[in-house]
Order: sequence, then structure tokens, then C-alpha cells
Amino acid sequence: MKEGCRRTLERAYLILDGEEITSAERVTIQEHLEACEPCFERYGLEVEVKRVIARLRGCTTCPDELKAKITTLLDQA
Amino acid sequence: MADAAKADLTQEEKERFQTDALPLLDSLYSGALRMTRNPSDAEDLVQETMLRAYRAFDRFEAGTNLKAWLFRILTNAYINTYRKKQREPLKVSQDEVEDFDLYRELKNHDPEMSVTPETIVLDNLVDSDIIEAIDDLPEQFRLAVVLSDVEGFSYAEMAEIMDVPMGTVMSRLHRGRKALQKRLWEVARDRGIVKGPHPDQADAKS
Repeated sequence: MKEGCRRTLERAYLILDGEEITSAERVTIQEHLEACEPCFERYGLEVEVKRVIARLRGCTTCPDELKAKITTLLDQA
Repeated sequence: MADAAKADLTQEEKERFQTDALPLLDSLYSGALRMTRNPSDAEDLVQETMLRAYRAFDRFEAGTNLKAWLFRILTNAYINTYRKKQREPLKVSQDEVEDFDLYRELKNHDPEMSVTPETIVLDNLVDSDIIEAIDDLPEQFRLAVVLSDVEGFSYAEMAEIMDVPMGTVMSRLHRGRKALQKRLWEVARDRGIVKGPHPDQADAKS
């Protein structure tokens, strides 16, 4: 992978993760992704992997017995 | 010992803790389970976290992020108490992780593949496959991926929770994702998802 591609994908993480980024840098990254197919596809893959991991969000719940136990413990604490 | 100390909260603080912190138990338990990888340890860890948090709640700055504050206590409790008894995570060679490129693997697997069918590989993984892959990550990577991609914390919040600079957060997240992609690829291969091309599946995608 070219150094410019590696650098772009690293910075593209900021967009992927909803972090603040200057509009100038955002444009630079988007222009690179539009012009460079491997980078475009790699970025698309990162988006997909993040989406798949996010499926786990909210799918595990705290057991009811533990919730009850903690509520009781807090009352005594 | 701090554990024996009584919480010294006003009635208002006690009520606020019940109202605001108890609804976060599902998230905390989920985070604890991914840290300890063991339901019994996760329960103990969440219980300890909630008691510590309750006793320290007068020091919580109202209006700041309670979930991040609780996760910081959870992470500290995990590192101080539970990490020692954990099974050793899979040893991952650093070079191997840095060099892994899911895109290249997919292209080698099927040069005709374009971006969209690549998602078929990922969508064919069930939640337990993803959990298995995350659980196999070395601790620091696992924590970064879980906090960001499962719990949705920002880099700044993760820096607070893990008590490391933002640059460290980003590098752990980057390497964690690479390592995770490598494991997901291996899991997909083990489950036969990427054994051969599946041209028909392009239509099966909803």
C-alpha cells in the first residue's frame, strides 16, 4: 500500500468514528477515496466491519437477579 | 478498606444514582462480559463497580457523562482485580497484525468480488462468531474495540476510561481492528463461509 493511501485510511477512521475533523481534511480524504478504488473499497470494508460489531450493542442484558441484588446492596450501602 | 465504608450521599444524590445509573446496568454488564469473558466474573465485576460508584457518587460531576464515568470505574476494577485470574489471551504477533489486510484476502479469495458481496461474508457470521473473535483479542485491543464499536464511546471518552493519551487510543483501536479482521477472516474460513465462491448469495442478500 502506498504511503498516501495508508495515511488517508488512518485519517478516514476519524470520519468512520464520528470524530471531529476539519472540513478541509474531510474533503482531502473524500477526494482520495473517490479517486482510488482500493482505498474506497477498503474504507467500505471498515464501515461494514464496524456495522457488524455494532450488532452486539444492546444484545446482552444484565441478569434480573443481579439487578435485584445490586438494588438491595445499594439500599444498605 | 474502601469497600467497608458507608456511602455518604445526600438523599437527592441517592435518588439520582438510582434513576441515572441503574438503567446503565445492561451496558455495564455487557462491557464486563467482554472484559472478563465469563458471566460469573462479569456479575462480580458489575456489582463491585456499582458499589464503588455509589460510594464515590458525591465526586461525580453532574452534567458530565455518567456512562463514561461508570466505565472508567469498571475498567479500573477489572484491571486491578480480575485481570490477574484471566486466561491468557491469544498471542498475536504484532507484525502479523500490522500486515493483515482483509481487503487483499477477499480479493485473493475471489478477484471478482466487489464491495457489496464482501458484506455477505460478514453478514454470514452470527453474533457468537463475532463474540468469539473479539474474545480472542489481546486485552488492550479488545477493550478499545469494545468501547468504540460496541459501546459507541468517542476517542476522548476512551482516553478517560483507559487513562491513556488520545494517540494511544487511536493506535490501539487501529491495531485492534486489524487483529479482529484477521480473526473474523479465520472464523469465516473455519465455518466454511469463504471456502469457495458463492455466486448465488449475491441475490440472497436482502
